[in-house]
Amino acid sequence: MSETDPFEAIKVVFFQECDELLGDLEAGLLAMESGRTDSETVNAVFRAVHSVKGGAGAFGLDALVRFAHVFETLMDEIRAGRKPCDDLTVKTLLRASDVLADHIAAARGQADPVDEARSAALVAELEALTHGDEGAVLSEPVADDIAAIEIDLGADEFGFKPVAFNFAALDAPVETAEPELQAWRITLRPHGRMYANANETGLLLRELARLGETAVALDLSALPDLNALAAEEGCLTWTVELTTAAPEADIRDVFDFVETDCDLEIVRASDEASASEDAAAPESEPESEPEFDIAALLARAQAEVVAEAPVAPVEAVLPQLTAEIAPAPAPVEVSTPPAVQAAAAPVPAKAPAAVTIRVDLDRVDRLINVVGELVIQQAMLAQRVTESGLARSSGVSVGLEDLELLTREIQDSVMAIRAQPVKSVFQRMPRLVREVAEMTGKKVRLVTSGEDTEVDKTVVERLAEPMTHMLRNAIDHGLETPEERLAAGKAAEGVVRLAALHRSGRIVIEISDDGAGINRERVRGIAISRGLIAEDAVLTDDEIDNLIFLPGFSTAETVTDVSGRGVGMDVVRRSIQSLGGRISIASNPGKGSTFTLSLPLTLAVLDGMVVTAAEQTLVAPLTAIVESLTPRAEDIHHVGGHDAVIRFRDAFVPLIDVAMAMGFRTTPTVSATGVAVVVENEAGQRAALLFDAIQGQRQVVIKSLETNYQQVEGVAAATILGDGRVALILDVDALTANARRQASRPELKLAS
Amino acid sequence: MTKTILTIDDSRTMRDMLMLALSGAGYRVIQAVDGVDGLETLSAEGADIVITDINMPRLDGFGFIEGMRADPANRSIPVLVLTTESDAAKKQRARDAGATGWIVKPFDPVKLIEAVRRVAA
Amino acid sequence: MTDHFSTTASDARELIAFRIGEQEFCVDIMAVREIRGWTPATPLPRTPGYMKGVINLRGAVLPIIDLGVRFGLTTSEPTARHVIMVAHIGGRMVGLLVDAVSDIIQLKDEEIQPTPDVASDHVKSFVKGIFALDGRMLSLIELDRIVPEIEAEAA
Repeated sequence: MSETDPFEAIKVVFFQECDELLGDLEAGLLAMESGRTDSETVNAVFRAVHSVKGGAGAFGLDALVRFAHVFETLMDEIRAGRKPCDDLTVKTLLRASDVLADHIAAARGQADPVDEARSAALVAELEALTHGDEGAVLSEPVADDIAAIEIDLGADEFGFKPVAFNFAALDAPVETAEPELQAWRITLRPHGRMYANANETGLLLRELARLGETAVALDLSALPDLNALAAEEGCLTWTVELTTAAPEADIRDVFDFVETDCDLEIVRASDEASASEDAAAPESEPESEPEFDIAALLARAQAEVVAEAPVAPVEAVLPQLTAEIAPAPAPVEVSTPPAVQAAAAPVPAKAPAAVTIRVDLDRVDRLINVVGELVIQQAMLAQRVTESGLARSSGVSVGLEDLELLTREIQDSVMAIRAQPVKSVFQRMPRLVREVAEMTGKKVRLVTSGEDTEVDKTVVERLAEPMTHMLRNAIDHGLETPEERLAAGKAAEGVVRLAALHRSGRIVIEISDDGAGINRERVRGIAISRGLIAEDAVLTDDEIDNLIFLPGFSTAETVTDVSGRGVGMDVVRRSIQSLGGRISIASNPGKGSTFTLSLPLTLAVLDGMVVTAAEQTLVAPLTAIVESLTPRAEDIHHVGGHDAVIRFRDAFVPLIDVAMAMGFRTTPTVSATGVAVVVENEAGQRAALLFDAIQGQRQVVIKSLETNYQQVEGVAAATILGDGRVALILDVDALTANARRQASRPELKLAS
Repeated sequence: MTKTILTIDDSRTMRDMLMLALSGAGYRVIQAVDGVDGLETLSAEGADIVITDINMPRLDGFGFIEGMRADPANRSIPVLVLTTESDAAKKQRARDAGATGWIVKPFDPVKLIEAVRRVAA
Repeated sequence: MTDHFSTTASDARELIAFRIGEQEFCVDIMAVREIRGWTPATPLPRTPGYMKGVINLRGAVLPIIDLGVRFGLTTSEPTARHVIMVAHIGGRMVGLLVDAVSDIIQLKDEEIQPTPDVASDHVKSFVKGIFALDGRMLSLIELDRIVPEIEAEAA
């Protein structure tokens, strides 16, 4: 494998990591915006930018590095407490994070390079905040700013300079210096501290030996008696005579790590040509050979030092020389790092991170498909066994039941793999809100909750679009301008709430705003003018509110795409419905509106009740079912002559003849011989569905109709039963809604 | 005998790059994602050399080194810190914590290997 | 793949011919994935008359369109004799119900004639052109027109 392949792979990893880092960055900044400026939060933000910069530097992504650097510098000031974390700062940081995201997108080729003026403007703001009153950089022509940054980069206190990776250099032959040889004398007297950091003289000497020929002498004269041995002080002095063509900088470089932990002297031997011969270390000793024997030297040193009982001070000074360091497994004390200050507000301790692995999504999808087929096969097998007349108590039947339980368990586990928190979708919303707010001139605060609510991956991805539309709508049309709000006695800043929660086996997303609510007069008027309702139609408030979902209602007056394109709420509703979901709106004039979106937890599998109606096998989702009952003639009444209702638990609910509603039959089902299943829709409204019979309960694999055909009203999806035939999965909400609107449908078209 | 290097960094990109450079030079590489993970991994698996980042969640590089050095058994394990901060004060800070040496980020793979060789026998 | 007329160097097409009642039609063979016998379809509620329902095609839900009804010809009850051509149209898999499939034909572009005015407007909307073969007249069908993009919602 060539060197570039793994390198390119790491680049991909880097950009994936950038996505996560941007998420962390935004989350942290939003926390800071709402007042949580504890050290942990601020540090997390710093680390995110820091990591982006580090990786970007390795790949030579200069524009990104430069921007990230300015961002990081300010964050460093804030985390060190040298600069305040006030509202203006946080808001600037938030905008900076948007620009950072754009730089990243440009760096990975997904977008055009960031507009220089925009980037430079933000750089100027960040620098102004960083440097306070001392010479804030003005937002002058772009070139100046970038030049200023480059100068900074060269001289900044971090000494940071982007260095693009060059793995090929690893294999490059080591350059040899100019051939001019020079003699040097190096005197090294390590302090105890040097050893404490696991630096080894031996290694230093070896390093020197790489530069040229060396002769080493060891002076033990300073070594005191054991009793007088001071813990922190070193007492060995090494002298090295080095002949090398390397420059002095290279020699000094060898001691780079230990410079301050030792007494070091590097002089040219020629400078000392006339130096006194009483220098502590003699020129050369018999021990010195072109390849000096450290082991012998150390052994000699060791011999001089009596190391009987492992005395702690000795250990501190000569850890490498003594062979006996008893690695007593003392519990490692994790001292509180000085960097992390105790937060004023207790930050909840993070639960130990769960072990995770990364899996190709394809593999998971394939697994889920195969498991789905397994479920179908198992059902078919069960059917055939039943048909074959085997007793239910027979070994085969019992075995099959066990098999069904196992299959269900496998399916649950597999589905859980694909379950994802909606957080990934929620995370894109704050930026969207900022952009829409800016474009519409409204002041908005987004409050989210339930980010950890989990739902199948297939659903999560499809949530983004409708959520985006509804948020735009809430800000653009729901919220009033700051002036209007103030005039109405509200705070200038509007609040939009985005919440996700589980409810009766589905996931519910609520988007609410504290705006003006739906202008019912206007909506009514528009609906009439578009011929959607009769002029004299009598509608409840709820019904008026829901008019906005009607096809043909939408104009630029309902939802405006930020680029000016109109997107109708009916399109939004249709996309939700194609997921098997529901959307409804509740509005309170002057107070605000709430959109409620409900979706199945997964698009793949459903627990259903299998029923028959007019020789057609249908499936009703179990989550919608309240109870099933056998209707008695005396329980059934007719309102207004033809709308059937049935008594259920002290209330009357509409009775829907499913066979007729679906067009399978033109003659009514005989209620007395049928079965009524009471269902409840999203709004909590109940109805009773009349079927011919109930076949049983089963978990079915959902097959979408939209793949090859299109959405059909009253039908949520399809499934393949044990007999290999396709059965339709009922859209309970649509059925009940239809029935409530129109009791009878004489123009019903028979399905052929 | 192949030496084992423990690399500690919260950035997956960095971990991958270190792995690529170090394993290419013949070292066996084990990884940890922050200071706490680093201490646990070190005590569970042991290592001949440690390379650690500074800025990490839960426990940063300095905290890791201090924690590591607190155990006498770890005194002789060289630790290199990865840092973008190469001024003298920061270096001293690293030394004070117990670092053997440092590598400046973003690192040149050649320099990385040199630094490793410099501190490890 | 929606353009089902692949251009070859010699501008010849390969078509598959089928029969509905007394009339003969053909479509580009590239769009047809398989031929199978009729199996009872699960009806879909409130769908146009030509939608016979859906069947299970190896785990996929396949809509069946009765071409005879679609073209406005006599409706026929499906019997075992009837044939389903599984076609790929506009990114979807669709089953086309016909009486029988006859043969595979090679055709050159210049042999196609425009549809004469005598044909009813309804059928005309699906037909790209006609040509003669062994004394028979075959109508070349535009598959894309069979499956409308968005169906108007039923009342």
